[in-house]
Amino acid sequence: MASVSVRIVGANGDGVESSGALLIKVATRNGLNVFGYRGYQSIIRGGHVWYQIRISDSKLYSHGEGIDILIALNQDSITYQKSHLNPNAIVIYDPSKIKVDELDATKFRLVKLPMLDIAIEVSGDPIMRNTVAIGAALKFIGIDISVFNEVIKSMFGRKGEKVVESNIKAASRGYDSEGVSMVFNIKGDGKQRYALDGNTALSIGAYASGCKFYAAYPMTPASSILHWFAAHENKGVMPKQTEDEIAAINMTIGAASAGARAMCGTSGGGFSLMVEGLGLAGMLETPIVVVESQRTGPSTGLPTKTEQADLLFVMHASQGEFPRIVVAPRSIEESFKIASEAFNLADRYQCPVLIMMDLYLSEHIESIDGFDFDSITIDRGKIVTQKTDEGRFKRYLITEDGISPRSFPGARGLEFIAGSDEHNEYGDLISDAFAGIDSSIEIRNKMHEKRMRKMDTMLKNESIFVPHIENENADYFLVTFGSTTIPAREAVEILKSKGLNFGIISFNYILPLDKEKTKAMLHGKRMINVEANFTGQLAKVIMMNTGIEIKESILKYDGEAFTGESIASEALKIVKK
Amino acid sequence: MPGSNPTANQNTKQKQNFASGVKPIWCPGCGDFSVEAALMKAVQEIGIEKERVVIVSGIGCSSAMPHPFSTYGIHSLHGRLLPVAAGVKLANDDLIVIGTGGDGDGYGIGVGHLIHNARRNIDLTYIVMNNEIYGLTTGQASPTSLIGAKTKSTPFGSIETPENPTAIAISAGATYVARAFSGDPMHMAELIKGGILHKGFSIIDVFSPCVTFNNLNTYDWFRQRVYKLETSGHDPSDKSKAMERSFEAEQTDWAKIPIGLFYKAEKQTYSQLDITLQQGPLVNQKFPTKQQALEIMEEYR
Repeated sequence: MASVSVRIVGANGDGVESSGALLIKVATRNGLNVFGYRGYQSIIRGGHVWYQIRISDSKLYSHGEGIDILIALNQDSITYQKSHLNPNAIVIYDPSKIKVDELDATKFRLVKLPMLDIAIEVSGDPIMRNTVAIGAALKFIGIDISVFNEVIKSMFGRKGEKVVESNIKAASRGYDSEGVSMVFNIKGDGKQRYALDGNTALSIGAYASGCKFYAAYPMTPASSILHWFAAHENKGVMPKQTEDEIAAINMTIGAASAGARAMCGTSGGGFSLMVEGLGLAGMLETPIVVVESQRTGPSTGLPTKTEQADLLFVMHASQGEFPRIVVAPRSIEESFKIASEAFNLADRYQCPVLIMMDLYLSEHIESIDGFDFDSITIDRGKIVTQKTDEGRFKRYLITEDGISPRSFPGARGLEFIAGSDEHNEYGDLISDAFAGIDSSIEIRNKMHEKRMRKMDTMLKNESIFVPHIENENADYFLVTFGSTTIPAREAVEILKSKGLNFGIISFNYILPLDKEKTKAMLHGKRMINVEANFTGQLAKVIMMNTGIEIKESILKYDGEAFTGESIASEALKIVKK
Repeated sequence: MPGSNPTANQNTKQKQNFASGVKPIWCPGCGDFSVEAALMKAVQEIGIEKERVVIVSGIGCSSAMPHPFSTYGIHSLHGRLLPVAAGVKLANDDLIVIGTGGDGDGYGIGVGHLIHNARRNIDLTYIVMNNEIYGLTTGQASPTSLIGAKTKSTPFGSIETPENPTAIAISAGATYVARAFSGDPMHMAELIKGGILHKGFSIIDVFSPCVTFNNLNTYDWFRQRVYKLETSGHDPSDKSKAMERSFEAEQTDWAKIPIGLFYKAEKQTYSQLDITLQQGPLVNQKFPTKQQALEIMEEYR
């Protein structure tokens, strides 16, 4: 496998993100694999932002540990990024703006590129300077300029010939500049891939499985789901920006009660506001999907950085007990798959399904071959539309599997009142006049047991509530949930190259968990728990469910994403202890 | 046609039974009984098919309202009936969605939702049983308790300015703003009917006396003070005049309290403006085909 990590660095407003997006498009059009991750701050102008794009001839599992090609757009780019430069890294900079005295010219390849002058010369527009740098980077990587030209034509064709022409000119000037030559020669396989992030994958999965309503209050890193639904409003989905997250989840419950597949999403802070509504969905037995994309906490924390510290919170949020499903996708592809499954599970078990994303999974971009749309099936669960017997409809009928028939407003004769108070089979309250009398105590018990029985039913009927083992015969196992599984896969390869046989035990569906099967899978294995939090929350869940204590942990809570290298080096230390 | 909005003359001959037989929890003499009767009369007279009616409530004495009705209903969370109701309506525009709750629910903990759903002009009818007290929690001050009101939480008299619900609703963008009094259920029924028939966000603030915990704002107290806007030459299409009337009670130190229709405006509703809903109610829209999904995927190549 050959790969190169390009990091474009500047301030907000320098066009770092759009330049990165352009490079990703060119690489994927060329049949290459990409993995992109952005570093940015909670600031609109200024700050120090970077976009690292790793490009390879093989599937990638992280954005890479260091920088092979640095495109420096300001002086800070040198100062703050020099410690990340790999040996022999290429540094592309504009000598009219940036001094590179602090870099050792014998260790790095310093490439003077008068980006600004060239930009002004070919277009009169200083913004074109990034394109000049991209052109140079393409030469170093080994991507032919003709691919770039095609991408520009398809991307900016609408904006007119002049825009296309000046972009092409700017890039080719960079490509052909003095001191620029092919270094990496990474060749694509000719297969055109898609490039997208986890939130996009999740949104497409939800859309494809019939999610019609998405409510949210803007919050990083979940906002891009709202943006996706807003951008596709003319494709039969309704985005609803609400006054707060309380309204978001309650509107979602309303929409789901009326029969629409409905979802809301937020980050930890907003989820804190949603908690009461989550309990409402549990009590009304309304199927909703809730996305919680975690960022560094507590409180406002580091709004633009990643973490996995909300697991126990999401698993236990709300007063009282009710069935719920908690799932953390382990890749971009799985973000799609799980979003599409989530609506079936919610409908089948009439309970909330919580999808745990995190900033890293929500925002990093990967090239993918595509999604398996054929695998999508639609199961709306026990829905009744016609009245079949006399008497009032029992929406909360006590059943063996705990699942009761559900009707939607508009269906004649199947009217019922859904109550947040404890209720009988019809939905009539037992909380007010009758609480505490014998018959009501019996109803309470039966109704609560009915709801909770759905947990048993789902464990019995679904085979998904177990972890996944990769490399069964390994000597050691990295234990992960959600996004951390991605760099763990790279870590396994790195450790293999050092002669260590590692596998992965990864969790996507975490609540409920099949205790016996999980215990059997984990039994007797040498495990290292890898999580982006301080307390090792997954390890606690494992302990709670299986009694198995994982003694070794690699924990990270600095807000930066794990890389394969960082996990591998820590694992190596643990093994050598 | 099942997808049409109600009109006053539709199905009037065929009276449906909207009563479920479930008894509400209210104290004898509670103003909420009048609201139940008025709402019952309103939906019966309009002649909507009862399976198309969804009554959404919050938590509090008055939020028991859906249960005596044999329609669909959701008894939701304290202060959250409006977002739940809005969600129902946005998902299925064919439904008649009625919100019922109290002053603590709608003007206290949930007041933000009042402002935003009024602003959206979502076609809901929101009935607030305003008794100027927290009843179900046994008598604390509410956002509409008058200055000086002695309650369990304000034993030395409330010192906070009471909220002005009609003024808030009008300024937030509600397009049908009325006030009723439980002492006059026939008048109230007409106002509720008007609200249901109105396309847009309708609010009916109802003085609904709490006979147990509010010894100040009693039936008699209101009877001595209320007068009807309809008989006083008020023009409900005049927004400025509607605001003036909204402040009349406060400015006369509660000597003159107007009831009736303060404000009514014809304005496009959220559903009429929303792009997605131009293709019909959300619940009736087809799930995407693989081809449609693949077309979207092209954006990412």
